[in-house]
Amino acid sequence: MRGFDFVAPTSISAALKAAKGRSTKFIAGGTNFLPDLRHQHDGPAKVVIDLMRISGLQGISSSKGVVKMGALTTMTDFLTDKTILREAPILAAMSEKFAGPIIRNRATVAGNIIDGGPAADAVPPLLALKAKVRLASEKGRRTVDLDKFLTGYRQTAIRSDELITAVTFPSPGRNHKWGYYKLARRNAMAITVVGVAVVLKVRRKKVEEAGISLGSVTAAPIRCYEAEKILEGNVVDLELAQKAAEACAAVAAPIDDIRASAEYRKLMCEVLPRRLICQALDISQDND
Amino acid sequence: MKMATTSKSKRTGKSSTPAYVPPKKLPISFSVNGQEVNTEAPAHTSLLYLLRDLGFTEVKNGCEAGDCGACTILLDGLAMNACCALGVQAEGREITTVKGIGTVDNLHPIQVKFIEHGAIQCGFCTPGMIVAAKELLDLTPNPSRHEIKAGIAGNLCRCTGYVKIIDAIEAAAEELSSKKGKGK
Repeated sequence: MRGFDFVAPTSISAALKAAKGRSTKFIAGGTNFLPDLRHQHDGPAKVVIDLMRISGLQGISSSKGVVKMGALTTMTDFLTDKTILREAPILAAMSEKFAGPIIRNRATVAGNIIDGGPAADAVPPLLALKAKVRLASEKGRRTVDLDKFLTGYRQTAIRSDELITAVTFPSPGRNHKWGYYKLARRNAMAITVVGVAVVLKVRRKKVEEAGISLGSVTAAPIRCYEAEKILEGNVVDLELAQKAAEACAAVAAPIDDIRASAEYRKLMCEVLPRRLICQALDISQDND
Repeated sequence: MKMATTSKSKRTGKSSTPAYVPPKKLPISFSVNGQEVNTEAPAHTSLLYLLRDLGFTEVKNGCEAGDCGACTILLDGLAMNACCALGVQAEGREITTVKGIGTVDNLHPIQVKFIEHGAIQCGFCTPGMIVAAKELLDLTPNPSRHEIKAGIAGNLCRCTGYVKIIDAIEAAAEELSSKKGKGK
């Protein structure tokens, strides 16, 4: 393989400076980068920049109703961090199903997003939480909604001179309802067949705001805007949950592969959202 | 026979294949099981290859994709797949392999229980499995059987069917926590 230069800066500005004018690959935990590297005859880039030593990309905090996770937040952090467990337990529920414990120690939230895979497990819960991606380049900083950031199969809106510094989401509030399900062939180390995340803000039995998303059934995980609209402003019953679930299935465009057929995935895109909405809102489901 | 390629390259002044330039080696220093290591390697060398080339062959090469856990090590106390990091990323870090947990002359209770319970068959997964079990018991001293299964979910074993491994870790947890109790 063709070699590359390597630097491990300790600040965001030093990382951006090192990337200037060169083909660059930023890496962190390496859980996608190293396995991919074995198949890249020409090497990944002229320079590989290790972000793991940048303290400015670490830490989870919450202020003024916004939770901020540094780009280097690992899946293990999702399972142990008190802010996450209090503000968005859906991320912990997701992390429990994410690969295995050893991978979770290294896999970062920004890495999972930027890899752009359709089965990126951290993405559906973040979409349902209406997360935003903070980006920095030498020209300045900008924030992009996660659903706009993911533009296609392994494609994102990141520019070649940019790097993800943090992922944020508005706190859904102490009393929000949520549900997460990863349908896969095994309990661990599995690539998701269908991933579903539901986050509901409820006030006086009415769903005020809904976030519903699907993973592994489109080129990149997606939010189900129609389904969200069906629930919002309503006291949800089984019939409405079913309608929302059908709207979820309508946007799913799954493929056949070795893990499941497109037909099965499509069906599960209706069953699982309905089940999660009903469980979150304590609606009894007779036919499930 | 005409040497067409030779004349072509004479005309353009370029040879058809660029000369091979070996990748630049970078200095790397870290510690393995308390022993200082100063070495050098090209940036693309994985931590797994670097460790094995230095003689730490207890770190096994299974899948090189983060799937099997045979190369599990502790990096600054955190379990990880050595195949999923670049060697240069280990600069200044402390690495622990299975030999840093216990040696043949001085076995760790986890290793003793693995032997007693027949949790080792071909032995290939064992170094990684024991490192993963060590982290699990450091974080969760009295795990349930479900927690043990979840704790070694990233480590594949194709021989035992896992039952004996789970038994061994359960027994090791009991022994370690009773030892701790006596110490107090």
